[in-house]
Amino acid sequence: MAAFPYYDSKAIDALNGQAVSLLGLFASRGYGREEPAVLQPAEIFLDRSGEEIRRRTFTLIDPSGRELCLRPDLTIPICREAVMSKRSFPARIAYNGLVFRHQPGEPHRPTQFFQAGVELLGLQDRAAGETEILSLVVDALKVCGLSDFTIRIGDLALFNALVDALALPAGWRSRLKRHFWRAGYVESLLYWLGHGDGKAKLPGTLEEIEALLDARGDAPMAGRSREDIITRALDRAADAANLRLDAKVADAVAQLLDISGPAEESLAKVRALLATAGIKLDPQLVAMDARLATLKSLNIDPARVQFTAHFGRNMEYYTGFVFELWARDKEGPVQIAGGGRYDSMMEMLGAKKPVSAIGVAIRTERVLAAKRGGK
Amino acid sequence: MLTLAIPSKGRLKDNCNAWFAERGVVMEMAAGARGYRASFAGMPDVEVMLLSAGEIASSLLAGDIHLGITGEDLLREEAPELTGRMHLIKPLGFGFADVVVAVSAYWIDVATMADLDDVCAAYAGKHKRRLRVATKYAQLTRQFFALNRISDYRIVPSQGATEGAPAAGTAEVIVDITTTGATLRDNGLKILDDGVILKSQAQLAASLTADWSGEARKACEALLTRLEPAGPLYSALVAQLPR
Repeated sequence: MAAFPYYDSKAIDALNGQAVSLLGLFASRGYGREEPAVLQPAEIFLDRSGEEIRRRTFTLIDPSGRELCLRPDLTIPICREAVMSKRSFPARIAYNGLVFRHQPGEPHRPTQFFQAGVELLGLQDRAAGETEILSLVVDALKVCGLSDFTIRIGDLALFNALVDALALPAGWRSRLKRHFWRAGYVESLLYWLGHGDGKAKLPGTLEEIEALLDARGDAPMAGRSREDIITRALDRAADAANLRLDAKVADAVAQLLDISGPAEESLAKVRALLATAGIKLDPQLVAMDARLATLKSLNIDPARVQFTAHFGRNMEYYTGFVFELWARDKEGPVQIAGGGRYDSMMEMLGAKKPVSAIGVAIRTERVLAAKRGGK
Repeated sequence: MLTLAIPSKGRLKDNCNAWFAERGVVMEMAAGARGYRASFAGMPDVEVMLLSAGEIASSLLAGDIHLGITGEDLLREEAPELTGRMHLIKPLGFGFADVVVAVSAYWIDVATMADLDDVCAAYAGKHKRRLRVATKYAQLTRQFFALNRISDYRIVPSQGATEGAPAAGTAEVIVDITTTGATLRDNGLKILDDGVILKSQAQLAASLTADWSGEARKACEALLTRLEPAGPLYSALVAQLPR
């Protein structure tokens, strides 16, 4: 597809026809369509999302000097509105509209494309929410007339629980979790923790730290309190002294992260490696089994379901279960839908308490292209 | 006609003139042009324009001029992906400056980008907004922070006196240019151990999107051969130009 797509009447008819079927299905499951503005205040995207969204967002300055952007997705403005309008939960919201993305280094890819999707906000029963969204996306492809697709699944919560089970200082655990979605980085951290010498001598006592601070009394605090700095300096010194991971455990975790393949087989490998490392993650594994059972009940051939331990969905806001659906167009494999759980977003957008959230977005133009044929 | 832009004022201008003079290329100011146009003695096919360093970078990117001399920091900021847009012909050995990440010296627990990453994440978690980085180098900052896997920050554009931002409370961290580090130190800031984004100097650069007529190519070859008789400067440039 071109960088600046032109839709002729045939393309518009095909897209509209498909959108009517999709929105009809969403409505029949209780998802009413909503539509945020195309032009959005930039700060909700720039301030509340990570670098991956930010570097792909088109920003502009309006004549009064306000920074605006073209929506890079519909999830953030929809969630934002749900927070602002104090929506009652659970809320089921559907959308179908254009999103805009800069494609750094890939000037041939489209700068705008349609997404149709749903958000399920504030449903307490997380497993039920996952089942609902998985069935919805499978049925959505069915009403589009696309049956030849595969599913990749993963779970960031599985990795977080795994990291929490490691005998590491808290600072290092949160660093590993933060960087989970970046391929390669976590593996190199793990190797360093298990095999490197990793010893750094840092000023460690409260007296040493306070003396250092007093000597720098003229320098700006720059948004952090003295207590903040002391606490972190103490933690950092303690971390440096304890930074070591049993090489056997580090290697087992690294191998585990490398697992990718048919879901049932892969999960068996995960269980075996966890046993080797002496780590128990039963709730997360049970949740994974339930998702596989859901897919089976939707008549998805298990051979078409892949599990990837190191699942790097490239939107940083995902917090748990993540999935992607893939098909083929005439150029090769293409992702036609993706989604997952993003339980921290509503709070980031101003909700006073945690609100569970899960959703899916379908790349409708790619679905049409995949139907026209790959093979 | 080949157009070449050089800085119109300051040390960069003086260094430029000296650099050309050392290679036997003498600049003559055009009469009545108020110091904005010049030519090289004996090279009627080269038009010399005097522009601000920032304008030179944007004119190269826009293809308005063939050649220009300006800081590498400005070129890389203007065109994060140089490929197909600009070709760096030769570093000139003056105008040295580093683009660096600096934080308050009071942050005794922050020495590296990894420390800054921790602090960014803690700040975002605690304040529900992102730590601010003041800079006029938004592109370079974005690239470097991405390379260091930092995502919990936001850039606030700054035009001048960036080093004052942490004290003024308009940003917590800065990315700025420095030669000796003295200005940063005077403002209670320190450079992170692995916080040097770019070691910059003045570059002779070519625009790959300019109109490279046969005439311009010929004048360019003559000029570059004159500047570095034994060097492959021109052939390296031609390899990049569209055919």
